[in-house]
Amino acid sequence: MKTLRDKILDHPYLVMAVILIITIFFFKQIKDKGRMETDLDKYMPHNHPAFVYSDAAEEMFDIKDGIIIAIEHPESVYNPETLQKIKDITKALQKMDEIHKADVTSLYTADNIIGTEAGMDVKAFYKRVPKAEKLAALRQEVAGNDMVAGRLISEDETVAVIIARIDDDVFTQDFYKAIIDLGVSFEGPEKVYVAGSPIVEGTMALLGPADMKRMVPVVILVIILVLLGVLKSFKSTLFTFLVVAISSVWTFGLMALVGVPTYAVSTMIPVMLIAIGVADGIHFYSHLGIFLKKNPGTEKLVAVKDMLHGMWKPIVMTSVTTAVGFISLLTSQVYPIEYFGLFTAFGVLAAMLLTLVLIPAGIMAFNLPKLSVKGAAHNSAVADKFSAALLSQKKLTWLVTLALVMVSVWGINKVWINSSFLDKFESDSDIVQTDTFINAKFGGTSTINVILETEVAGKFKHSDILTLVDKMQDDVEALAMVGSSFALTDYLKRMNMVMNADDEAFNTIPDNAELNAQYLLLYEMSGDPENLWRVTDYDYRRLNVTFQVKSDNSKVINDVLDRIETYRTPLAEMGVELNYAGSGYKALIFTDLILEGQIRSLVLSLVIIVSLLGYMFKTIKAGLVGSFPIVITALIGFGVLGVFNIPLSTTTALLSSITIGIGIDYAVHFLDRYRLNRQAGLAMEKAVSETMDHSGRAIVFNAVVVIAGFMVLLASVFPPNRALGALVSLNMFISFVGTLTVMVLLVVKSDLFNPNDRGVK
Amino acid sequence: MKNLKFISIILILSGVLFGQTPNGLEIIEKTYNRPTSKTLEANLTMVLENARGVQRVREIKQFTKDFGEVEKKLMIFRKPKDVKNTTFMNWSFDDGREDQWIYLPALKKIKRISSDSDSDYFMGSDFTYDDLGDRHPSEDTHRLIGEETIDGNDCYIVESIPLDEENMYSKTVTWIIKDKWIGYKKEFYDEDEEFLKQLNLVKYEEFDKVIVLSEVKMKNEQNGHSTIMRLSDLVINKTIADNMFTERMMKRGLR
Repeated sequence: MKTLRDKILDHPYLVMAVILIITIFFFKQIKDKGRMETDLDKYMPHNHPAFVYSDAAEEMFDIKDGIIIAIEHPESVYNPETLQKIKDITKALQKMDEIHKADVTSLYTADNIIGTEAGMDVKAFYKRVPKAEKLAALRQEVAGNDMVAGRLISEDETVAVIIARIDDDVFTQDFYKAIIDLGVSFEGPEKVYVAGSPIVEGTMALLGPADMKRMVPVVILVIILVLLGVLKSFKSTLFTFLVVAISSVWTFGLMALVGVPTYAVSTMIPVMLIAIGVADGIHFYSHLGIFLKKNPGTEKLVAVKDMLHGMWKPIVMTSVTTAVGFISLLTSQVYPIEYFGLFTAFGVLAAMLLTLVLIPAGIMAFNLPKLSVKGAAHNSAVADKFSAALLSQKKLTWLVTLALVMVSVWGINKVWINSSFLDKFESDSDIVQTDTFINAKFGGTSTINVILETEVAGKFKHSDILTLVDKMQDDVEALAMVGSSFALTDYLKRMNMVMNADDEAFNTIPDNAELNAQYLLLYEMSGDPENLWRVTDYDYRRLNVTFQVKSDNSKVINDVLDRIETYRTPLAEMGVELNYAGSGYKALIFTDLILEGQIRSLVLSLVIIVSLLGYMFKTIKAGLVGSFPIVITALIGFGVLGVFNIPLSTTTALLSSITIGIGIDYAVHFLDRYRLNRQAGLAMEKAVSETMDHSGRAIVFNAVVVIAGFMVLLASVFPPNRALGALVSLNMFISFVGTLTVMVLLVVKSDLFNPNDRGVK
Repeated sequence: MKNLKFISIILILSGVLFGQTPNGLEIIEKTYNRPTSKTLEANLTMVLENARGVQRVREIKQFTKDFGEVEKKLMIFRKPKDVKNTTFMNWSFDDGREDQWIYLPALKKIKRISSDSDSDYFMGSDFTYDDLGDRHPSEDTHRLIGEETIDGNDCYIVESIPLDEENMYSKTVTWIIKDKWIGYKKEFYDEDEEFLKQLNLVKYEEFDKVIVLSEVKMKNEQNGHSTIMRLSDLVINKTIADNMFTERMMKRGLR
């Protein structure tokens, strides 16, 4: 170690050249092999039982997410021009390579089941656009058909929708643009809206990174400026920042090298590295500054050696514990998160290595930072005062902490993850407005698929079961946020009514299984049987009941699921098993998995960190005391979200990992310096104020830098990025306050690192 | 001058060749006018198979009688059990008009079913009414596009393009066995000129002068669904009473 250290210090330019070459190598990897994974489906844990089931059901019933194109005419859609546009849009969508012909639904493609004096007829609403005199008849046919009115044409007759269902894997930026352009080309006098979950996801995939691209340079600039302010040296700032930047390049370079694509969550890696990586540099330079103030005029080699001697241990300790914290994310069931944990851990260790090598080499090559001599005494006075105040107000500190923890525990019970994509947008954004508009006119833009299953073929022709399904549909539709539902029952009710002279009294499920079977045969004879295979399977053993919901908010979806769940037992009594399918449900499961995984990894890493600190400081007491800031930060951090009813999202949930990374850094730096001070023979109070001056100051600097940087994100136009900024800042703040107050009191209370204690245990 | 002479010889030669080979319309007309039995009684088995390979089988007793300007058909379901005795009657007039009735025993009512176009699928199969019925040659323009021997059958290849632009097919291509004038294979292209489905003749039975296509298979290449229609226990030209094709007989069902 010593010879290596000396070699590094002797050849600073060589060291920097090697680092540069490695960086260029990794940079080339990113350029050559790096790829972004934008397909959200790839994030999903497809071997999870709920996903396995849903995927199979989606395959069976051809369940897909739909792009909705809505065309609004100021008066009525029943005019030749608008009807022509509905036909043209339908045909244009059908011609797109990404869309299967049969997957486009509109008034133009819909089947019209109608009663005639003699019997039943299933036909198209129109093939050629009807002439003016036939418009009234068309209008009447739509109004009289529950399977179309309110589904494809709004009740007020001003809006028509064309729905194109697409496969999971076809969505690209080009396709997104083609759809948007298609909508625009049909504008005037009609207004054309484009909505649906693929569009929402597409817009998000476009907006989020674009906003980040705008904001990140500002974040970096602010961090650099604040670093300049606290380090008071351009050189120190440059090298501290280089550590973060280079470690990010190495991390992404390694990802590209081993062929792991960049997922959306991976964009959080630089965020973590900025928050964690600058700490190493700040502590290094802070130590150096204090040393130089106490020993002015020291030669740079001596100063650097002292810096390394005093700080390499806490820097390695903090980095290793942080890395372990991130590695614990491997317990997650979600691949991108496992990769996120693994590669962030690598990044943290890379930042550690760079701090230990690049910063000393930098000083050797470009000399010590110029520091003004005065001010040191002033700082230490602040630290002394603060320490004294803290130690005299123990009771108050504990009371405040206790109160905060109690409120937080209460708040934590209310923490929830919102899997909604729409809630990520501003409420006055185009996409939300369009969604609101379509939800107001139609059943709902979000879909829940309920899959009912029996062992017996033909079971879903039985009237008792179908009647119960129909009752479930009615009951769930009674919820304000549920617009409509669709199932085999709707076909049967419609046919029963039509076959009985359009008598509304027959708009019911026939009470005779054979009649159901014969109606279905009749439908197959006269309609497009492919439509049936979206609501039932080939041998009537399974049913797909679709609910249209007016929001994709997790609370709303859960309310709907709760209502559906009340039918689980009655259905089970008839031998029917109830399950769910579809992307909305999967998103819900996915977010639950993420939250669950986060909590599991938080607990696991806490256990590991307690033992690791215990081992490093050779007393388990240090482990317990040192992990306290993590616990406090996690509790209060989540508590705040609960108290203010701020839902987590899939990415912000990951931020709990940052509480480990940061909390542990602060604690280790403080504990290590405190131990040194105690070993040097300082009394407890003196050791506290000395440590406060040394590590406390660096901790404050670190917190100020990162908080200032991330507060910039509050000005973002993309709400998830704002949440990110607020949460990182909040976590930094709690960690730093927690470390410098409660943890210090715990150190004192537990009489940690008492030199006289050493022999005992 | 020499060139001109050469070209004219070619022209004359090809004229001779075309004179020997019937043109597209003639081939289709010959096929259309192929002698058929006056009556036909058979058991029809329909095997429907979806893309996942799940099969459904329907068994139907079928009676057909040619009345000259109208062909009448009665189909009585034997299986599956829950649709037993559901009866379907079809009167197909030469002018293209179709009348259809269905009797649902559970409803005890006869209903007239009409479909607005021939493009509806027949009983959930991959055959449209149009595919099953005899499409009159005058509804398309026909062109002989080649000849080919497949599975030992010498065939003409005729491309037919509907005159009606709204027809569900943009074109069909038929392989017709020479001398027998029966379609051996037929490809259907959808309105966007994409390959939609293929019809294959699996089996035919020759009676005195009459050929009955006793097993055909239609496979939809776009959705993977297929249908086999198999006629068994064929009885041709046996006297079937005219009143077989009445509502009263529909209600009677199979004894």
